[in-house]
Amino acid sequence: MDHFQKFRQQIRWLTFGLIITENAILLSGWWIGSLHRKHVTIVMVIGATLLAFALTWTIMTVLGNTITKPLQALWQAILHISPSEQGMAAPKLEGLGMGKELVESLVRQIYQIGDSANKAAAEAKAQNSDISQNFVAQNLPLPLFIMDATDTITFANAAAEAYIGIKASDMLGKNVYMVLDMSFPSVDTLDNWLKQVKVKSATAASSWERVRLNVRDNHPSRLFDLAAYYNRDNPHHLESMLALFDHTEAYSQDDQAVSFIALSVHELRTPLTLLRGYIEVFEDEIDTSNNPELHSFMEKMRSQAEQLMAFVNNILNVARVDDDQLQLRLEKNDWPTVLKKAINDLSLRAKVRDISLHCQIATNLPAVGVDPISIHEVINNLVDNAIKYSGTSKVIEIATKLNGEGLVETTVRDYGLGISSSIMPNLFTKFYRDHRNRAQIGGTGLGLYLSKAIVTAHGGTMWVQSKESEGSTFGFTLMPYDKLTAERKEAGEQGITRSAHGWIKNHSLYRR
Amino acid sequence: MTDTSTPDTLPAANTNPGRSVLCIEDEHFIAELYTRALTKAGYDVTTIIDGVEGLTAAQSNKYDIILLDLMVPNLNGIEILRALRDPARVPPVRSKIIVTTNLEQREDVRSDIEKQADGYLVKAEITPGELVEFLDTIK
Repeated sequence: MDHFQKFRQQIRWLTFGLIITENAILLSGWWIGSLHRKHVTIVMVIGATLLAFALTWTIMTVLGNTITKPLQALWQAILHISPSEQGMAAPKLEGLGMGKELVESLVRQIYQIGDSANKAAAEAKAQNSDISQNFVAQNLPLPLFIMDATDTITFANAAAEAYIGIKASDMLGKNVYMVLDMSFPSVDTLDNWLKQVKVKSATAASSWERVRLNVRDNHPSRLFDLAAYYNRDNPHHLESMLALFDHTEAYSQDDQAVSFIALSVHELRTPLTLLRGYIEVFEDEIDTSNNPELHSFMEKMRSQAEQLMAFVNNILNVARVDDDQLQLRLEKNDWPTVLKKAINDLSLRAKVRDISLHCQIATNLPAVGVDPISIHEVINNLVDNAIKYSGTSKVIEIATKLNGEGLVETTVRDYGLGISSSIMPNLFTKFYRDHRNRAQIGGTGLGLYLSKAIVTAHGGTMWVQSKESEGSTFGFTLMPYDKLTAERKEAGEQGITRSAHGWIKNHSLYRR
Repeated sequence: MTDTSTPDTLPAANTNPGRSVLCIEDEHFIAELYTRALTKAGYDVTTIIDGVEGLTAAQSNKYDIILLDLMVPNLNGIEILRALRDPARVPPVRSKIIVTTNLEQREDVRSDIEKQADGYLVKAEITPGELVEFLDTIK
């Protein structure tokens, strides 16, 4: 305030001085005029008036300039730093007389304020583009991942660090699928969705339930819901965003269902082992010729016990499939060998019904990647079904060849009862059995459900074509081993481990 | 019949024309069925119901085939298998070890077992007669 007080005093004194001077001049003139009254002429009067006018004008100009020059300098300074006014030059402070210190100090303050404002704006701008400085992103209590156009992680917040157990700095620059090894309950995976939206959308959002995060080192896997957001060509490379909602405890209650079933399976198997053992003894001991009826009963007992055993095996697999716990080990195999062995094992069953199995195997088949035991189950199931639903037909055709897409395609064709179109949609669902045939034809209703899950886990597809009273053709594809391994080079394992919904082990590194 | 010979000496060659089987199984009735079927087929069968005793007997190296149940009391089958297949064992156990179980294993556990054993059978899936056929194929 010192500068301002000083300036105000100066103005006061200036005003005082100017007016006193003017008054003095005027008074002097009047006094001179009164001494020489005789010689006062009109000219002198006019001259005196003009002088008074000139003096007043001088006061006005001097005062006006002196008072407003500081204001002008301030005006210039403010506009100079104003972001909206581009043309204003900096004020010239040298020309100032009175109030120079005041103006200098104020202009300095103005420039300082201007500087701070600029700095704050620049910081805010920088913060906006540096997501890691974003308070919301960093402190969001949900694991948050941000990726750029190449699916590389550019940001992971604190919650993500804690969830995955890897430091954010170690996650940056890595492909998101390397860091997040996820499995989805269906073929609708994050990877598939991203691929689609990148092609056809500017922005998109989606969510998934019950996604499994496979964690290394024997940690139990985590189960969560996933939400994703995509925006194309984001200038800060924040192209995709993932948020995870953990539900491990709630979803893993289902694991208990599997454990209960596993326990039940064991408890069921023990008496079953004994029953089958005793039945075998009796079958051997009862002479067909002496006791044909008893022998026939024993045969039926054996068959029923086998069926029970198959069902017990199946229910555990079904539970695992449902919970994404069915693990298969795919190994390199000669498909004709595997197929022929399976068919061989079924030939007796076919013979009993007087049905012949015709097998046509192409010669140019590449080695396939299969889990021999489970794929045996699949062939078993399809041929068994064909036998069961053959009606009066006596022929079943099994063929395998390399199809147009380079996949090994296998078909099982029967000429029996066929499947009505009303049943077709439900064919591969659990426990679904044609109610019309249920009484005559035995079965658990799990076979096709499991078969499809197993084929899917092999990276193949299964389908059916059928016409009532004309028969059905069931088919499935398998991948050549080379195709499987080509995308699994970094695995370093002997075989390829897949889960039942294996082809949805979400990863562009895994084959679909 | 529990053998007590020391595990460090190789026994004299088995002159029994039928092959010898050590059945480590605590389910009495299952063991009975297996013994019946195997004996009928010319095998010489010894049954032991306890895990620790079973390991001792197996280490005697006297048996051509060992049928090893995974769930036996006092020492489970996996431990027994590991002990018998320990690479540090000298001399190594020459018997073929066939693991039997009615438990459903996780794939990784099962394949670990299969790496060490010479066979893996689910008891409910194989009748005594089929077991004999299977053992006949093992050389």
